[in-house]
Amino acid sequence: MHTITVTINGAAEYLAVRSNMTLLQMLREELGLTGTKNGCEAGECGACTVLLDGEPVNACMVLAVESDGHQVITVEGLAEGDELAPLQESFIELNAVQCGFCTPGMLTSAHALLQRHPKPTEDEIEEAVLGNLCRCTGYVRIVDAIRDAAGSSASASGKGGAR
Amino acid sequence: MLARPGLPSFEYVQAANAAEVHSLMQQSGARLMMGGTDLFPQMREGVCEPETIVDVKHVPGMRDLSYDERLGLNIGAAVTMNQLVRHRDVQAHYPILAQAAHSVASYQLRNRATIGGNVCNASPCADTSPAVMVLEGVMVLQAKGAERNAPAADFVTGPGQTAIEPGEFLAAIRLPAPPAGAVGRYLKLGRSRLGDLSIVGVAVLGYPDPAAASGYRFRIALGSVAPIPLRAPAAEEILAANTPSEETFAAAAEEAMGVATPITDVRAGATYQKMMVRALTIRALRDVWAELAPGKGA
Amino acid sequence: MTHATAAASQRIGGTIGRSVRRIDAHDKVTGAATYADDLLAARGPGLYYGRLVRSPHAHALIRSIDASKALAVRGVKAVVTGEDTPTRIGLYLKDRHIFALDRARLVGDPVAGVIATSEEIAEEAARLVEVEYEELPAVFDPAEAIRPDAPLIHPELGEYEVVNFIFPKPGTNISEHFKLRRGDVEAAWPQCEIIVEGTFRLPPIQHVPIEPHVAISLWEQSGQVTLWTCSQSPFAQRDLIAQSMGIPHGNLRVISPYVGGGFGGKAGVSMEACAVAMARAVKGHPVKLRMTREEEFICTNARQSLEAHTKIGCDSQGNLLAMETRYIFGGGASNEYGVNIARAAGYSCTGPYLIPNVKGDSYCVYTNTPVGSAMRGFGMPEIHWGIEQIIDQLAEKIGMDSAEFRRRNCVKTGETILTGMEMPAINLEACIDKVTEAIQWDRREPPSAPHKRRGKGIAIMWKAPAMPPNAGSSAVVRLNEDGTVNVEIGAQELGQGAFTVLAQVAAEALGVPYEWVRISAPVDTRYSPYEWQTVASRITWSVGNAVMAAAGDARHKILAVVAEHWDEDPADLDIKDGLVMSFKSEREQPLEGLVVYGLPNENFEGWKGGPIIGTGNFMPTYVTNLDFETGQGTRAVVHYTVGAQAVDLEVDTETGQLEILKIASAYDVGKALNPDLIMTQIEGGAVHGLSSAFEALKFDEKGRPLNNNLVDYRIATVADIPREIHGDIVETPLEDGPWGARGVGEHVMVQTAPAIANAIYDALGIRFSDLPLSAEKIFLALQ
Repeated sequence: MHTITVTINGAAEYLAVRSNMTLLQMLREELGLTGTKNGCEAGECGACTVLLDGEPVNACMVLAVESDGHQVITVEGLAEGDELAPLQESFIELNAVQCGFCTPGMLTSAHALLQRHPKPTEDEIEEAVLGNLCRCTGYVRIVDAIRDAAGSSASASGKGGAR
Repeated sequence: MLARPGLPSFEYVQAANAAEVHSLMQQSGARLMMGGTDLFPQMREGVCEPETIVDVKHVPGMRDLSYDERLGLNIGAAVTMNQLVRHRDVQAHYPILAQAAHSVASYQLRNRATIGGNVCNASPCADTSPAVMVLEGVMVLQAKGAERNAPAADFVTGPGQTAIEPGEFLAAIRLPAPPAGAVGRYLKLGRSRLGDLSIVGVAVLGYPDPAAASGYRFRIALGSVAPIPLRAPAAEEILAANTPSEETFAAAAEEAMGVATPITDVRAGATYQKMMVRALTIRALRDVWAELAPGKGA
Repeated sequence: MTHATAAASQRIGGTIGRSVRRIDAHDKVTGAATYADDLLAARGPGLYYGRLVRSPHAHALIRSIDASKALAVRGVKAVVTGEDTPTRIGLYLKDRHIFALDRARLVGDPVAGVIATSEEIAEEAARLVEVEYEELPAVFDPAEAIRPDAPLIHPELGEYEVVNFIFPKPGTNISEHFKLRRGDVEAAWPQCEIIVEGTFRLPPIQHVPIEPHVAISLWEQSGQVTLWTCSQSPFAQRDLIAQSMGIPHGNLRVISPYVGGGFGGKAGVSMEACAVAMARAVKGHPVKLRMTREEEFICTNARQSLEAHTKIGCDSQGNLLAMETRYIFGGGASNEYGVNIARAAGYSCTGPYLIPNVKGDSYCVYTNTPVGSAMRGFGMPEIHWGIEQIIDQLAEKIGMDSAEFRRRNCVKTGETILTGMEMPAINLEACIDKVTEAIQWDRREPPSAPHKRRGKGIAIMWKAPAMPPNAGSSAVVRLNEDGTVNVEIGAQELGQGAFTVLAQVAAEALGVPYEWVRISAPVDTRYSPYEWQTVASRITWSVGNAVMAAAGDARHKILAVVAEHWDEDPADLDIKDGLVMSFKSEREQPLEGLVVYGLPNENFEGWKGGPIIGTGNFMPTYVTNLDFETGQGTRAVVHYTVGAQAVDLEVDTETGQLEILKIASAYDVGKALNPDLIMTQIEGGAVHGLSSAFEALKFDEKGRPLNNNLVDYRIATVADIPREIHGDIVETPLEDGPWGARGVGEHVMVQTAPAIANAIYDALGIRFSDLPLSAEKIFLALQ
């Protein structure tokens, strides 16, 4: 067991974790933050994407103990209280949500994208969510919503921009 | 066939310095870890079952990335793919390495996956290996109280096998300053447009060299098409000897295809892989040539 | 976004035809939406976990199971095996054991379940269960499995309980044989100017919902049993598990929170029954059972493989005259659900064409591969793969434009189709027109580079809801003190937008704003009204009708109270925006208060009314049985939804890689209750269809999976989508649909693969009759 201190969505948590516990298991099973989803445990689907020190990672590919001393933001931490983040509003407004299982990972990936590129190009959007699989939407609305949240809808051309 | 849920039991230890790495490595069943992106899936599948995982990414220097005009690039083994992709000096002087790193999996995974892990895992499809080979990198292997350099060309000895001796670990990769005027291209073919493992990877580095008959030299390395990443010396000789042209490129690509010895598996058939070595080599050569000698045509 | 008809924007009232916000979106963007794995997520005392011991052999007799080493592991609570669940289970054909009893029929078949205090302990212990197998010859390919000398996978087939419209052949691997005979094909062939014949094959593929299967079950000492799971079929699961395990239906409670993608894979029963059987062994403790992604690929459900052999002919004018077709579905180790896929493929075997002479044989056969079950399209993507290519071949040979050939031959309203049924109102020609216009069918455009080839292709489709003739729906509408409304249904929200559309239906039928309506979720068989299953694109139509009836019932009750109170005729009253109003007296009465407390009589002498609850149900009562020898009957199905897709693509001849430039789709949905949700189905379906053309579950010669992970079974990523997806909505009202609406959830991917294949042919002159496609396959074909 390792005793760790990790800041999750702005609040410090003190935890005792086993060596083989992943960050995903810690969030879901120890902290009840079930917004982060388990889709493959192999770093392939992106449903467990969270932000570690602001950068997206697959929580299934990070050991809980490795988060010691770091900042983690999950989908539960994107809204400011009752106020949804613009990205969340755009996902609702543009029907970028269907079954919703990929949505938390999509949002965290997209959130980090907009932090590093407030006006992302089409390639940057594609790069940001390439590792987030969605079986429902065909990605079209997700790309639209990210573009919309960035306020760059004027540049809506190329992939998915034809509608 | 059926991986377990979660990771099997092990003890996690963080090494604070090289000395600790060396002492922890002595423990039976110890395995070094950096990003874990190759290791964890292998553990779930039961391919490897370490008793102790030694996290070496906090060892001083492991995550350093520095460039010196004369000495070249020093890449700590635990430098992540995204660190490479983003780094200004890598983009400016080793764009081929940035391309190779960028082609790996997804943005999230590239935040964890390290170059050291990529080359040490010694998967035939490791994307950074061909790039490191054409850049004639040197692997810095640290043993207790000693350090030796192993050329990238001979580093991978078989699938999952490297030249690392017991008691050594990969501390860094050093890339010499690239030849003046060098242009590089890494082209990767996966089963889908982006994000797949490579089924063929071709790295080409070209640069002017008055000593060569053609006035140019090209280095070519191939990934995914043999048990280990390969240089294609016969192809390189053709390019040094003959004026760059479509015919020269085709002849060189033919030779590159000749060194490929892929096997048919669930990802691709051998015939296709071989023919794609040819196709991608020609494309990479054209791209490099167009940048090396703009307007000269081919 | 474009919509084909002005009708799409016609406002019937405030809500129908309007693209209101999804009712579930806020929960889903904040992480608050609950899925099965989120229940009992925290480890706690008393919560147990299960892992399954699975057969490493594709076909083997189970000689013995020794669990003693597993039981000795600290933390292990119990081990269950097939002997604990000896009775069979299944939807249409009870051919399955919850745990393999004496025989394993696929690699991954569950032979035992280990229950322990942690998933890790359960996994370690499962590895210690010793099973002695006697390997048997296995068969994987449907065309081989149907042969009389093939290894017999279900020797006891003749003993299985089966519904009266499925016809297994004991002593063979054939679990269903559907026969369609219409006209006289033998007499018709000589009249044909052109005849084309071909064989088309599809491998098994997987649904790949992003959420793997999860089930939690608790068996209480009292005999009350609860199953929490991600389910398209809470009621069917209750029914099947209750029957198989001898639980009174009223004691088995199935609760399903949001489903993280279904696509048919979470319909019927798969691993959920294992969880219930395991819970029985540790009464009083919930047991959580989760599939890893690697298990999800092979141990839950898959789409069946198919070998289709089709011969088709037309006269010199391009009129279809005859078709003879033989479909052999590789149904996997159990065909309890899959038999009806073969049946559906049989009664729709011509595709959306009017052909006077038809001989169709559709078989479902057992194979030692993952269990074939419902998947989006239910047999239609499989048969349209061949039909839509062979139609193109025929059009080319007769020298007719393939879109024109389809316009001429496609089925039209009122025609008598292959089963003898009269085609309900649809407009497939309009769908063809829409997609040919959107794709600029008549324009040949140059490729973007000399080494590329460009091509366009078209494909059309039909699909009927495939279900028992009397699959029913029900709904309850409850009004609250403030006039808000809770709608209880047993239908599921899988992402398709069912909750949103059903809330719209309730709002419209009752006369309240959409924002006042809540859907009572999660679906809980203890409290929710009955629903057959959330499958077959039947929810908008069938549950929509039930909700409409329930809301109408509530409305009727409200108006009766107010009419009596005002001493007016209820016919003169209406409810609009939550106000009861009289056309005659122009009086108004808000619903608030009235719908719970009623209305006081004048001078407060007594009251009228009381809490308002509306109930409603819907069940199609008009579907008839089909003749066993000919497949003929008055009404084979409830209705068909039809549509067209056109594809514009480029092929890189140096690598074989495809780039899809555009997919244009048009579907006749009857009435678009929420147009934008239909567009999201059209977009998602186009990508799902595109992705499916490149997917295959692959096995070695022993039936062991080679690609049961997301690295080697690749589904479309954001980088694989077409540059443009165009959608059109056509609206030809359905007689018994709510406001004329019919379903479209599955149809949107049915014909994408053959449309792509036709476009590849247009680009390269090469036809691919077998899926999956790959750049490699295309490249090698070019050499």
